[in-house]
Amino acid sequence: MNWRQIFLVLQREYLTRVKSKGFIWATILVPIGFVVFVGIVFFISIWESDTTFEIGILDETGVMAEALTELNPARYVDYSSLSADSLRSLVQQEEITGFIQMDEENIEAGKNLELIYSGSGGIQLLTSIRTDMREVIRQERLRRANVSPEIRQIYDASIQVDSRRLTRTGDEQDDDTIFLSIIGMIMGIVIFGAIFSYGGYVTRGVIEEKTSRIIEVIVSSVKPIELLTGKMAGVGALALTQFTVWILAFLGLTAVMGPVAAMVMDPAEGLANTELSEAQSEIPALLDLPAIDTSLFVYFIIFFVLGYLLYSSLFAAIGSASDSETDTQQLMLPVGAPIFIAYFIMLHTWRSPDSTLSVVSSIIPFFSPILMITRIAITEVPFWQIGLSILLMILTFAGTMWLSARIYKIGILSYGNSVGFKDLYRWIRQ
Amino acid sequence: MITIHVDKIRKQFGSTVAVDDASFSVKKGRIFGLLGPNGAGKTTTIRMINYIILQDSGTITINGMKVSPKTQKMIGYMPEERGLYKKMKVGEQLLYLARLKGLNSTDAREKIRYWLNRFDASDWHSKKVGELSKGMSQKIQFIATIVHDPDIYIFDEPFSGLDPINSELLKKIIIELKSAGKTILFSTHRMEQVEQMCDDICLFNNGKVVLTGNLRQVKKDFGKNTVLLEFEGDPSFLDHLENVRMNNRSNNFAEIRLLNDQDPQSILVKAMESVQIQRFQLVEPSLNEIFISTVGEDNIKNMEVLTN
Repeated sequence: MNWRQIFLVLQREYLTRVKSKGFIWATILVPIGFVVFVGIVFFISIWESDTTFEIGILDETGVMAEALTELNPARYVDYSSLSADSLRSLVQQEEITGFIQMDEENIEAGKNLELIYSGSGGIQLLTSIRTDMREVIRQERLRRANVSPEIRQIYDASIQVDSRRLTRTGDEQDDDTIFLSIIGMIMGIVIFGAIFSYGGYVTRGVIEEKTSRIIEVIVSSVKPIELLTGKMAGVGALALTQFTVWILAFLGLTAVMGPVAAMVMDPAEGLANTELSEAQSEIPALLDLPAIDTSLFVYFIIFFVLGYLLYSSLFAAIGSASDSETDTQQLMLPVGAPIFIAYFIMLHTWRSPDSTLSVVSSIIPFFSPILMITRIAITEVPFWQIGLSILLMILTFAGTMWLSARIYKIGILSYGNSVGFKDLYRWIRQ
Repeated sequence: MITIHVDKIRKQFGSTVAVDDASFSVKKGRIFGLLGPNGAGKTTTIRMINYIILQDSGTITINGMKVSPKTQKMIGYMPEERGLYKKMKVGEQLLYLARLKGLNSTDAREKIRYWLNRFDASDWHSKKVGELSKGMSQKIQFIATIVHDPDIYIFDEPFSGLDPINSELLKKIIIELKSAGKTILFSTHRMEQVEQMCDDICLFNNGKVVLTGNLRQVKKDFGKNTVLLEFEGDPSFLDHLENVRMNNRSNNFAEIRLLNDQDPQSILVKAMESVQIQRFQLVEPSLNEIFISTVGEDNIKNMEVLTN
């Protein structure tokens, strides 16, 4: 191995790609996309309750309509003076969304209520109507049962579980499990996508050298293993460049997002007072993201790099055995399958990071890059598991690289025949 | 002085023996032709000399050194399957290839400028190769081969796919390199194309060296036993000649190899009876003919390729 040659190859692979328009655009557009996404979520949260659905109440008890209109004046309207038939026609004319008829039996005997409505509003409307009804009926029953205020208070109390994490070192922290679960899942998905896209760069790079027929000129100066190493390192450096830009952009954007959002909120005075205060209380929840440990980013880079090396060595071998991108499909299957399996396991892991399936799969080298990072983000992974998975990935990489180098050195000079697994096996043994 | 020495090399791919016990030497300052039909093992041999693939047995030395990454840098190699990075600019590409051959950037830049000027191609420096015409990119390919100013040049089937202008240009370059004392080895299956250029030859067939030596000497050894006949009239009399082999035949021309000491005069007599003779010449056999009589007609794998 001659490091000067490897470096020259690396430099070419890196520079020709980093200057390409596609790369520059992708690097810029992803953070912009992130801002747009957060922006959309933010504005949705402000103007969420824009549309109101009017529900008519045909009350025969004389108390329920009042309780409901008090609870949500925008939604419930007392139509007790009208008949059920006229309310039906109001619904049909779309004057109101729906109506509910209530009598003593609903309160005393627990008879089911019936909502007659046009069907608009969706599950969210149904759920909130159901909650409202339970609430007013329960209140009325308690009142009629002459329950003492103390007991009513007991019923009113809604107990929440606040969770705090106690770390091994004895620190107690605010628990960000939900946030971290999402981060873990995102990191898993990003590595999944990155392995495929940068692996694809490597495959296409190898095929390009074959189809343009420059490969033989190159290998008359460089050993195939040096070319392979330089190529993988060059594309890897490209990936790290992109991730560095993205991570910095992410950290920078999350830091300025809170203040910016507050500035945006000020001119929004047109909103009703109650709504404004309600919205303001929601913003911090959305934008005041818990800090992500730097070590998580370090692990992310480590697992990405190892996963990239592991898979891109195989992707390079596939490229060398193919004459065109369409040729790669058959060979791509066994390499792509483990990545997809890892992805599907990840959809389980992010909800249950400590299950046996999650733990065992995260140590299997072909799954580790996706699953271990998801677990590290969410839960306290014992260090031996992290260490073991890293060690196994390094060993596996040594194996795939050896295999790939043998295929590559023969594949790059073979043209014309569609190569199957039998041929690859023969090349490896040659 | 021997520049490239190939000694009993052998290379097998699976069950196919591509090169079998081949030996030959290329002397310094000479043009050496590696000849033979397609599939005879020429490209495999050239790749082994270039240290692209390794021989199973035997040795190859360049200026006395076993082939290695170091000897690679002493060679300018233009493979049969050639090309360039389409998306890279001409200048960047030549710089990359020259640096891979061991040049530092400053020297490489200077040499690239010189050669681009030489080929009236200075304007192409910042153009992408994909934007160039085929002829232009062939010129860039020549520059890529010679830019690091090596002492040894190897061209594999250099004239295949070249347009006539570039064919002439390449011939000129080869002659020029020779007069500068460089050593040149090239392979071809079109033997007649290179007869004028080679000093020494090596004939390959089925992976084996069947004949090697100085071209003039080889020809001399075969004697003047070939008749070139140019005529006007019905060429069917050629079919009735005995003890001859027709090598190059058309409606008014025939290259006739005399076998079994056939007397050329008898051919002249027969020709005079049937056609108007415009030229009758007794010459040394062509390389094609030498190849055929050395290996025997039945042993040639790719007869068609050889004779067209």
